[in-house]
Amino acid sequence: MPKFLTSINAISWYFLFPVIFIHFFVVAFPSILSLLLCLTDWNGFGRINYVGLENFQELFRDRVFKKAVKHNIIWTVMFLTIPVIVALIIAYLLTGIKRGQLFYRLVYFFPYILASIVNCLIWRYIFHPRHGLGGWFENQGIDFLAKSPFAMKETALYAVAWVDMWHFWGFLVIIYLTGMYQVDDSLYEAADIEGATKFQKFRYITLPMIRPIFVLSLIIIIIWSVPTFDYVYILTMGGPAYSSEVVANHLYSQAFQRMNVGYASTIGVMMFFYVGIIVGFFAILRRMGWEV
Amino acid sequence: MNKILNIFLTFILTAFFATSTFAATKVVWWMESSADTDPTVQEMMCDAFNAEQDEVELECVFKEDINDTIRPALLSGSGPDMFDTPGASYIKIYQDAGLVKSMQEYADQYGWQDKLLGWAYNSGVFDGELYSIPKNYETMIYFYNKTLFEENGWSTPNTLEEVESLAAKIKAKGMNVYAYGSAGWQPTHEHLVGNYFNTYAGPENVYKALIGEKKWTDPEFVEAIELLRKHMVDEGYWSGDLETYYSLDWDDFNNEFATRGSAMLMIGTWGFNVTATNFGESSDDWDWNPLPILNSQAGSAPNYQLATGGTMSINASSKNADGAAKVIDWILSDKARALKVTGSLGYGAWLLPLKYTDADFDPNIDPRQKRFLTEFAEASDSGNYGYTTWTFYPNDPGVHIWKDMEVVWAGDITPLEFMEESQRLWDQARADDALVPVGKR
Repeated sequence: MPKFLTSINAISWYFLFPVIFIHFFVVAFPSILSLLLCLTDWNGFGRINYVGLENFQELFRDRVFKKAVKHNIIWTVMFLTIPVIVALIIAYLLTGIKRGQLFYRLVYFFPYILASIVNCLIWRYIFHPRHGLGGWFENQGIDFLAKSPFAMKETALYAVAWVDMWHFWGFLVIIYLTGMYQVDDSLYEAADIEGATKFQKFRYITLPMIRPIFVLSLIIIIIWSVPTFDYVYILTMGGPAYSSEVVANHLYSQAFQRMNVGYASTIGVMMFFYVGIIVGFFAILRRMGWEV
Repeated sequence: MNKILNIFLTFILTAFFATSTFAATKVVWWMESSADTDPTVQEMMCDAFNAEQDEVELECVFKEDINDTIRPALLSGSGPDMFDTPGASYIKIYQDAGLVKSMQEYADQYGWQDKLLGWAYNSGVFDGELYSIPKNYETMIYFYNKTLFEENGWSTPNTLEEVESLAAKIKAKGMNVYAYGSAGWQPTHEHLVGNYFNTYAGPENVYKALIGEKKWTDPEFVEAIELLRKHMVDEGYWSGDLETYYSLDWDDFNNEFATRGSAMLMIGTWGFNVTATNFGESSDDWDWNPLPILNSQAGSAPNYQLATGGTMSINASSKNADGAAKVIDWILSDKARALKVTGSLGYGAWLLPLKYTDADFDPNIDPRQKRFLTEFAEASDSGNYGYTTWTFYPNDPGVHIWKDMEVVWAGDITPLEFMEESQRLWDQARADDALVPVGKR
């Protein structure tokens, strides 16, 4: 047997082969197929007709798609700010707690391990106009939350994002906390000697030292915000009046409700390119010497 | 020793061939699963079929989201011998793709056309051949709290004026006019759109639009949508206001109706079971009526919208198609048995569109349910029928109806713009040959 077939490098490839093989058929091949399908009018079953760039032209005229893209951007901005800020503050405060910290960590992390359907049902019930907080306030003679925020077009997107953030921020607390524990205590001791305040220590020691984890969390948020689907689908199905429609929801509707699989593939391809741009952007930052 | 071995081998081979020759043909049927009905269907249909004959062995497999499950199975050339679909628009796609078998030879052989109601049979005919049979039919009606109506001296409404006058009286009593909600099932909106098309624009006009002799942008359809908008948004007929309508789910609105939160419930006939159950726990009594006619061009007699709630078909790649046809024929051949099955399910499922007569009914049937079954059969036979969107619309225009109705209610587009988009999608579907069959009126 040739030596290169039994080398350490070759053996590594043998172990990787099953994963690569499965990945090719389950992820790569369908993805390539999707790139081709976006040039067709396939309905998921029958004839496949080549339509050139017609789907892309349609996409740029599609008012729902435009709305969905806007909602995805709002969604991403919300997730890049609110849960990140809250998680940073809570994680920093937790580092100062010596007793009972595990309890807090469990409490904050708990929503993250709940299934999305459970989280959604809890919040749908809380905001229910009859049985939820609205009904309770009404019984007290207070007109507050009389209408579910999921049912109003002005608030639906934010209400759904709120539920998803409630489930997500505990995850950020845990990873920030992990990063904060890696910071060398001697830095804080030196700062104490210099008379630094808590905020100064956070600003000039903690934040720079956890930057790799912090940037990683931002990348995760940006990438995960693109295919966001489950919370929107369960709580509002993109309504009312597309006020909470996101791109993945629109893709689902086109592929599985309207049976426009070719067009849905076009949406998928756009999502793929968008994620590619984000990843490329961070790759460039890394090449420029940023610790990302 | 050799002799013993020969005898043994002969015995084994004979047993093998006898088993192969005389074993029942196995037919696998994937059905849409529903936790409430699956055990009854298994017992009264599948087990009963197997107990009555030994030629075909039927295996019923209950699947969640049948349409998502069946699609990859059919595309891969495998899948069950028989399968359910949500409706005719799906069959059209399967037929185009050659994934569903024509049942015309079986229909001719077993005389299915004579057994089924005409419109129901026609709903499965594509390019002159039968591809699906409805396993359930339904229509839109309204239930009302009879006790409440009697206490207040209210009459059930038959015209738009009567509806609006009654609505004002009901609201003055602090109740909602109709209980209904779309939480958990956004397509609920299409029930209301269909109601207004059929009772305002009228079934004749809807029929003409379905077959392309009229435009969906014609004034009667635009006015119907405007009237629905007014009743939903301005008047808050359904559960008080639009936002509450969006927030209430099946249990919520049925409970609201049964506890006098609302005076009426405009819903499909699948609501019989839950209404009877909920009112069984209350001292109030209930009854039902066909939908009031909101405009003279919709005719003077009430019309019942035709709808199929699920279909059964044979897989094009089935090797046991003859056996599957025997299963279907067994199901269609005994009206009393069919009524017994659907009766056990509260007439909300497995209501096969057969030509029932008085003699077929169980003497213990609720007279209100019997009245529906006989009145529907008479009305649909005499041409007083309309069309539901979920049975007669192709996918894209159908989804548009319930997705974009919210945009009209939100005030983001006008009823005319809504109907213009509808017309555009219908034109596209017609050009793509994606229309579902509509029997001649």
